Amino acid sequence: MTGRGSRSVSLRSVFGRTFREEGHALVGWVVGLVLYGATMLAMYPTVRGNKDFAKLLDSYPKALKTLFAITDYTSGPGYLRAEVFSLLGPLLLIIFAVLWGGDLTAGEEERGTIDLLLANPISRRRVVIEKWLAMVAGVAVATTSLGLTLGLGAPLVHLSVTWAELGAAVVATVLLAILFGTVALAVGAGTGRRGVARGSAAALAVTAYLLSSLSELVTWLRHARPASPWYHAIGVDPLRNGFLVAHLAVLVAVALVFLVAAVVLFERRDLAT
Amino acid sequence: MTTAPQSGGLATIAVEGLTKRYRGGGGVTDVSLEVRPGEVFGFLGPNGAGKSTTIRLLLDLIRPDAGTIRVFGLDIRTQGVAARRRIGYLPGDLSLYPRLTPRELLTHFSHLRGGLAWNGIAALADRFDLELDRPIRALSKGNRQKVGLVQALMGDPDLLLLDEPTSGLDPIVQHQVHDVIREAATEGRTVFLSSHVLSEVAQVATRVGLIRDGRVVSIEQVEHLRGRSVHLVEVILAGGSERPPWSNIEGVTVVDEQGATVHLEVSGSIDPLVAALARCRLADLTVREPDLEELFLSFYEQRT
Repeated sequence: MTGRGSRSVSLRSVFGRTFREEGHALVGWVVGLVLYGATMLAMYPTVRGNKDFAKLLDSYPKALKTLFAITDYTSGPGYLRAEVFSLLGPLLLIIFAVLWGGDLTAGEEERGTIDLLLANPISRRRVVIEKWLAMVAGVAVATTSLGLTLGLGAPLVHLSVTWAELGAAVVATVLLAILFGTVALAVGAGTGRRGVARGSAAALAVTAYLLSSLSELVTWLRHARPASPWYHAIGVDPLRNGFLVAHLAVLVAVALVFLVAAVVLFERRDLAT
Repeated sequence: MTTAPQSGGLATIAVEGLTKRYRGGGGVTDVSLEVRPGEVFGFLGPNGAGKSTTIRLLLDLIRPDAGTIRVFGLDIRTQGVAARRRIGYLPGDLSLYPRLTPRELLTHFSHLRGGLAWNGIAALADRFDLELDRPIRALSKGNRQKVGLVQALMGDPDLLLLDEPTSGLDPIVQHQVHDVIREAATEGRTVFLSSHVLSEVAQVATRVGLIRDGRVVSIEQVEHLRGRSVHLVEVILAGGSERPPWSNIEGVTVVDEQGATVHLEVSGSIDPLVAALARCRLADLTVREPDLEELFLSFYEQRT
């Protein structure tokens, strides 16, 4: 019997289907990020109770400490900044966002499903925006899972950090990852090629990271620092300074510029067969 | 080349001076055609002639270098969403979401089309005997093609754009597809059908556009096409059979004669030849339609 249509809510929109298609991957990422967060927490008691370790870190050259965001390493926020939010945490989430963002429209073009999708009475703009929203939701879920792990696990290892401090770091990381994911979307929408989209967004993310972290050391780079999204998300230290609306607004604005670019580029193109 | 409208009112498809060239070659050049409501228009040409390019232009998936496209009187570039609300499309190179089941894919598209009733979709799926609950990646090519057909036909769209709809289907299902196309036309809906198979187009279409190398060579009523087409006949006479006076038979030309095997070309009715052969003893008899190349050649010869 043919019965009735599928009841699945995820099939009611391009947003839902896109989110669902990446569902397995998202679960994998969430598991990975939870394990990563738990591992970082598990290492904290060793660091905190160890005076020699603190001395060793103190003896590091200043440049090295600056580069790896090691200040008040044994405090809760200081530890999380150095171990999670200065590089590896955001980097993982950027990879997640760029892989997905590059696939949003370019993946459907390369797999040939875009013809059937856009033969439906929906505009290209709607497809781009719904797919972008799916990525935004995915990045938010993944980052939040890391933040929750750290926040819920912190008391167990006597790491003192407030939800406000963590929340500020999570929001900044979400926006940073979305920004580079949107770059990948825009390049993919303009070229129809996943590899180009992911590669160029990843290259941009690495370049921006180097600009932001090296500018802490190199005086003449200081002026260029605001050009890097990493500076607005991580360089301004949300774990210590909380929600810095002006800096977060820069991240949102840049992401939206790339979203508009994605729509415009996608609307103009001949879609690949 | 434009054919005169058959009746008043708005054309379902009106294409004027459509050109789309690709850097690597291919595309279409200066295509003009008009398809009226209720018509089954066959778009006939060899692979790579520009059939799929034309259909993808009609859907605004690619954009023309020159020319205008109106579907239901709507400019496809600016009012594409409104036009596509009334179009069902089957791509020639069909790609479906492999992780979804047919039921999920059809549900998804029915939502994107504003929420179609499942009953009609279920009836189509039943008619094509489509398995709804296995992932599409596990389906055979023929079953995937059925998914493509059902999603194109669901919601009874006013215009069906079918790009090689019977490719990969077994003859029984091909027949069903032809039935569905005829029914759609009977209900006053319009079908634009591309094919590289002359007999398919001849069976279902009312008018045929012949396209080759991106240019529409001719647009003909299907009876006209059939009338001017020749039959190619191969006769192998049995030993001791009487040998008919081939060239005296009406409409028959001898192409080649070697021993008992004779190749003939028959224009017009095949009946005089059959009557003549009735007096012979045959080892074998083959009658076939000319292939597309031969058909196109006959049109070129007529024009020069």
